[in-house]
Amino acid sequence: MERLPSWLRQHLAALRAVAVLTVLLGLAYPLVTTGVAQVLFNEHANGSIVQAGGKDVGSALIGQSFTDADGNPVRTYFQSRPSAAGDGYDPTSSGASNLGPEDVVDVLAAPGTEGKESLLTRVCARSKAIGELEGVSGARPYCTPDGVGAVLKVFPGRAVSVNQACPAVPFVAAYQGLPVECARPGEDYAAGRTVPVRGDVRAVPVPADAVTASGSGLDPHISVAYAELQAPRVARERGLPPDRVRELIGAHTTGRALGFIGEPAVNVLDLNLALDRP
Amino acid sequence: MSTPVLEKPAHRNGRVGGGLLDPKQMIRSLPDALRKLNPATLWRNPVMFIVEIGAVFSTVLAVLDPSFFAWAIVVWLWLTVVFANLAEAVAEGRGKAQAATLRKAKTDTQARRLRDPGEPGAWELVRAPELRQGDHVIVEAGETIPGDGDVVEGIASVDESAITGESAPVIRESGGDRSAVTGGTKVLSDRIIVKITQKPGESFIDRMIALVEGANRQKTPNEIALNILLAALTIIFLVATVTMQPLAIYSKLVNPGVPDSLALNADGVSGVVLVSLLVCLIPTTIGALLSAIGIAGMDRLVQRNVLAMSGRAVEAAGDVSTLLLDKTGTITLGNRQAAEFVPVAGIGEQDLAEAAQLSSLADETPEGRSIVVYAKERYGLREREIHGAEWVPFTAQTRMSGVNLDGREVRKGAATAVMKWVRDAGGHPTDEIGHLVDGISASGGTPLVVAERGRVLGVIHLKDVVKAGMRERFDEMRRMGIRTVMITGDNPLTAKAIADEAGVDDFLAEATPEDKLALIRKEQAGGRLVAMTGDGTNDAPALAQSDVGVAMNTGTSAAKEAGNMVDLDSNPTKLIEIVEIGKQLLITRGALTTFSIANDIAKYFAIIPAMFTAVYPGLDALNIMRLASPQSAVLAAVIFNALVIIALIPLALRGVRYRPSSASKLLSRNLHLYGLGGIVAPFAGIKIIDLIIQFLPGMA
Amino acid sequence: MSTTSAGMIFIVSLIAALVLVHRPLGDYMYRVYSTARHNAVERVVYRLLGVRTDAEQSWGVYARGVLAFSVISVLVVYGIQRLQDKLPLSVGMEPVTDHIAWNTAISFVTNTNWQAYSGESTMGHLTQMAALAVQNFVSAAVGMAVAVALVRGFARRRSGTVGNFWVDLVRGTVRILLPISFAGALVLVAGGLIQNFSGVHEITTLTGGGQAITGGPVASQEVIKELGTNGGGFYNANSAHPFENAATWTNWFEIFLILLIPFALPRTFGRMVGQLRQGYAILAVMGVIALTSVLLTNVFELSGGATVPQAAGAAMEGKEVRFGVSNSATFAAATTLTSTGAVNSFHDSYTPFGGMMTLVNMMLGEVAPGGVGSGLYGMLILAVITVFVAGLMVGRTPEYLGKRIGAREIKLASLYFLVTPVLVLAGTAFAMGSPERRASMLNGGPHGLSEILYAFTSASNNNGSAFAGLTVNTPWYDVALGLCMAFGRFLPIILVLALAGSLAAQSPVPEGAGTLPTHRPLFIGMVVGVTVILVALTFLPALALGPLAEGLS
Repeated sequence: MERLPSWLRQHLAALRAVAVLTVLLGLAYPLVTTGVAQVLFNEHANGSIVQAGGKDVGSALIGQSFTDADGNPVRTYFQSRPSAAGDGYDPTSSGASNLGPEDVVDVLAAPGTEGKESLLTRVCARSKAIGELEGVSGARPYCTPDGVGAVLKVFPGRAVSVNQACPAVPFVAAYQGLPVECARPGEDYAAGRTVPVRGDVRAVPVPADAVTASGSGLDPHISVAYAELQAPRVARERGLPPDRVRELIGAHTTGRALGFIGEPAVNVLDLNLALDRP
Repeated sequence: MSTPVLEKPAHRNGRVGGGLLDPKQMIRSLPDALRKLNPATLWRNPVMFIVEIGAVFSTVLAVLDPSFFAWAIVVWLWLTVVFANLAEAVAEGRGKAQAATLRKAKTDTQARRLRDPGEPGAWELVRAPELRQGDHVIVEAGETIPGDGDVVEGIASVDESAITGESAPVIRESGGDRSAVTGGTKVLSDRIIVKITQKPGESFIDRMIALVEGANRQKTPNEIALNILLAALTIIFLVATVTMQPLAIYSKLVNPGVPDSLALNADGVSGVVLVSLLVCLIPTTIGALLSAIGIAGMDRLVQRNVLAMSGRAVEAAGDVSTLLLDKTGTITLGNRQAAEFVPVAGIGEQDLAEAAQLSSLADETPEGRSIVVYAKERYGLREREIHGAEWVPFTAQTRMSGVNLDGREVRKGAATAVMKWVRDAGGHPTDEIGHLVDGISASGGTPLVVAERGRVLGVIHLKDVVKAGMRERFDEMRRMGIRTVMITGDNPLTAKAIADEAGVDDFLAEATPEDKLALIRKEQAGGRLVAMTGDGTNDAPALAQSDVGVAMNTGTSAAKEAGNMVDLDSNPTKLIEIVEIGKQLLITRGALTTFSIANDIAKYFAIIPAMFTAVYPGLDALNIMRLASPQSAVLAAVIFNALVIIALIPLALRGVRYRPSSASKLLSRNLHLYGLGGIVAPFAGIKIIDLIIQFLPGMA
Repeated sequence: MSTTSAGMIFIVSLIAALVLVHRPLGDYMYRVYSTARHNAVERVVYRLLGVRTDAEQSWGVYARGVLAFSVISVLVVYGIQRLQDKLPLSVGMEPVTDHIAWNTAISFVTNTNWQAYSGESTMGHLTQMAALAVQNFVSAAVGMAVAVALVRGFARRRSGTVGNFWVDLVRGTVRILLPISFAGALVLVAGGLIQNFSGVHEITTLTGGGQAITGGPVASQEVIKELGTNGGGFYNANSAHPFENAATWTNWFEIFLILLIPFALPRTFGRMVGQLRQGYAILAVMGVIALTSVLLTNVFELSGGATVPQAAGAAMEGKEVRFGVSNSATFAAATTLTSTGAVNSFHDSYTPFGGMMTLVNMMLGEVAPGGVGSGLYGMLILAVITVFVAGLMVGRTPEYLGKRIGAREIKLASLYFLVTPVLVLAGTAFAMGSPERRASMLNGGPHGLSEILYAFTSASNNNGSAFAGLTVNTPWYDVALGLCMAFGRFLPIILVLALAGSLAAQSPVPEGAGTLPTHRPLFIGMVVGVTVILVALTFLPALALGPLAEGLS
């Protein structure tokens, strides 16, 4: 070894070092950790699997969709948040929408081009749908009554409600004296100045987490506000007294750890399982 | 030799001085500044070289696509470079004036060279530049000394005003520490033989001329380091500016509704504006003034009659943490003075005073004079003419002097010698005299025993007199973090007493040249930089070893060769000023660097909204100065950037105000002044310029 | 309690915990890197490595050790990914494509842990634990080793050597990272993280749909991902994934792990140079910047100033309910202030200014507190540059900790702080200059620009987080970002080690009244100023066209 050139010796030492450390850190360490974890925290270590009727129905930590085969909400269950993981709550494709905070202009579907909904329109559309499902107003700031982003492209002499495809009626008739038109799919409005219009919506019954996708796409929780919004509907559908449903919500709400860590959250799967339990 | 400065120099309460900037000087230097536009010389200054390239580029663009705005920018970009060159030219110009004076002294002299050094009679006439090292020349009254050398024979008074500016003639004699003569100085009396020590063309005056002209000026270590940092900043901002272009093109592309503007079109930010941004961001202020600061620093030394043989030494002076000061001449007045007459029991003070005075009447040494003066002032004893006296002079063997008058023998001198003389004459001095002598020694004084044959009368207390104001200066030094060490040949007791009185931090007693050298090495081993002054040949090794070695111009050639500075005034306290000038040089660089970098904030806020508000109207929020229009904003920033160079030339030449104080206080002061000031000043400056230029055409 | 006040207490509790722990940990690390003794495990390792542990190395030898180790590591990680289908525990994964495998190998070896892949659909269990998690350990240990070598440069006098790389590497791994990881992994499993070797577990949901519950040794990898400021998640969703970050308090714990070593190292530094107050001055600089950034990110996210957050009622897009806005913002600041790059929420959907803060944190050079080791050496470089300017202002040749900062030192420090901005800006410009590369943007307008700017900022600073909308698993991005990661990691390391060598050789200048004090508030403030003005302002034009343009519209 001593006779080898120093650079080669150094690389041999490096090779050995990688090998030795791989055995130590890449094999021994995870194996020992797994062994100990399996003994001490077996349930957690294996994914906090929950069962119903003797079958595994999910993980307490992984959110799931409570929709039917067509993707419509099952009205007897509390609904989870929107999800960007695959087609929704797909653990093999975790992730977020990654759409930006000023993503407000849709690409309208036109012959030959696929449309693309902006984040704002997604928020508005979800809000509208939830409003309808829960029987409350789905109106939000920056949203049109028909559930798209209330955004104008302003040109000299005219304005276009860029997310409202013709023949929709623009959410405002005029902007600063300019007539507002509906948007013709396929037309390029890039040259216009983008103006989101806040509108005058005050009360917004549908909470923020209900209209936004989570980071993981697997968020097992909803906010207490969203759970309470859904409670009357679930109670009605299941024929349960609303108080009983609220009681269950309370029982499956985790508060802030130590009173200040995190946010109060309702575990949807646990809550729905509890509802199913006789 | 001029007298040592006792009182605080005039600049104490103000800045370390330096000539004020004369506007005429600027105009005189303008041709030089224009000559310096030559890229072959400008590339040495990377920051300004980039500005020049930008100016050329902008000129081409302005020619191709002329507009008032583009031409206005072009003009100011060129002015930026010219102003930078002007700073350097003005700094050099001041040196040039001095060099011209020196050249007058270097008129072509003839020399009388001895054919054989042993035979003063046989000489030949040669031109001064033909003299070689080791040649011997004869110089007589009225002649100019043809080259640097040592007097090997004779003594003469020499007029050195050509180099020192001091009109009083000085004495130069063979042997000892006053043997060095400088070429170009004039012998006023007598005749000397000089051995030439310089190489042809490397005379002291030659070096001095080169020095003040900055001809072979080399960058000092800190200057090199600072240049590297400035180059790095320049590269970063160059990259930041160039890489902005694809981003700007994209931004324009995604906002197709926005019309093209002077600043931004589909090809991105216009070249002129891009260059403006770059020039405003790179550290032009310090880049423009850096070499001027260095030249001016050397110049300030020259104005104090100090010649630094390298810029490195000037910088090192700022770093000095140990100052070795010779006691005699630096800390104390050159000689001891009588401070007290202490009679032994049974002798009256008046009698002792009379005997002391009598023994000293013929003593022409400063100590002897001081005894006579003290006797007169304190005891009213007038000097008298004495006839028939037999004066006994001081010799190294007897170590005493005195007088024999009318059978009365009076002696004064070293205690042991005088006591022996008394005992030899049958006297029996008491122990009391021993106590007195020891007491005076212990207090740092020098005891001289006065006796008559067989009888001790008393003791004269000679004291070193510490110069006025020294304690304050040493306190200042301490605050600056500089340790002062007094070097003396005295015994430790004496040394300690004087050290305490003068307030130095430490002393080296009974110092030999070897001790001095060892002390320097020890300090340096501890990481300290050492400064010292010296004049004798035996100081040469220590001068060479020290980081800042200031040789006295009166000293030997060996000392002047060994040191890295020469003080033409031969004033040992000058060292303290040299340290201050060194520090001031570094502080000026640091302060202007900070100022330059801090300036960038305001310029960003001027130019970025100007470039991009058209595509993103929201960015107008960054236009916190509310500048009138994008064009006026860019132009105002460029104009400010150029004018600030002119505005700071006087500061660069004179150096920032420096008061000796601790590093913490200095940092605090300079950071507030040049850091915060550097942030605030351009906001105000750009706004004011904008208010004025907004009325120009093409600014709306 | 309101969301805001709970969020503030959350921050205060983290600070309190770090204050409590930095002292014993900092002292412990000081002993680890200073002692002459080797423990039993280490002696075995050294014998297997065949290196002489008593041989001190010059900076050049040390640097060659770092590079050799890293080159071999890249090859091994690349190889395992390409061959994973032939190895055990592949759980059905195909070999990783070549450009993603190269990008990932570089990414993990450089402590960047940029993920051009989606963990749950690309990497088998063995690749995760034997290739990726191993690099999580050793790349962190390399960072600490380099930092320690630099500190030795300051501490030593007239020395030709800066330590022994193999010893520093093994000690950092065995004595610091491994024990904390083991304990931390169990804590995380207690919080709900999984730790098994199962494949996909197919279940039928309540409403009759199918769901594939994944398995894997997640906790053991998660803990070192945070502790080693690596950030490469087991899953695509990283620390937002419930199996990586199950509970509200595991989130707290993970942030704590991220900040643990970087905030303890200044004390180690102080101990090693024999002046604790110098360590605390560095800590103060880090603390001031970090706290400012955390608070600003919280303010921007909580106020939700942008159209979509206003429409939604809160900036909840890309955030988990259990963490909420504030704790997500705190995590985002922590992960970008360090070189971690783990995310518990998706920065692409942050408010413009909130997202800008994560960018700015990285642009500062990740020095507050920065990655394990890399944060300390980055901050020391900034201190050196500050000392240079400040030192001149007190009229002395600048010196830091008794070492003169001359031309050579400034050259190395200047080159160091040139590297990352040049990589970031040149990379961004190249990407923005071509329509096909711009096609990778998910979002349009200034936000799309931010995505590309973020990618190159993250890669060049070895962070690894992303404005994840950008499609980066294309050959061009994989190669370009891979190069940014490699140059962004190893050029600075070589420069830092060269600086260490240069400093170690000097004999120190004694401190006196003329010495610039580098532990007072004034100097601390000046380092903060230099960091912000010199480093962050470089990026202002780019920021103006990205997040500023978006946020100020």
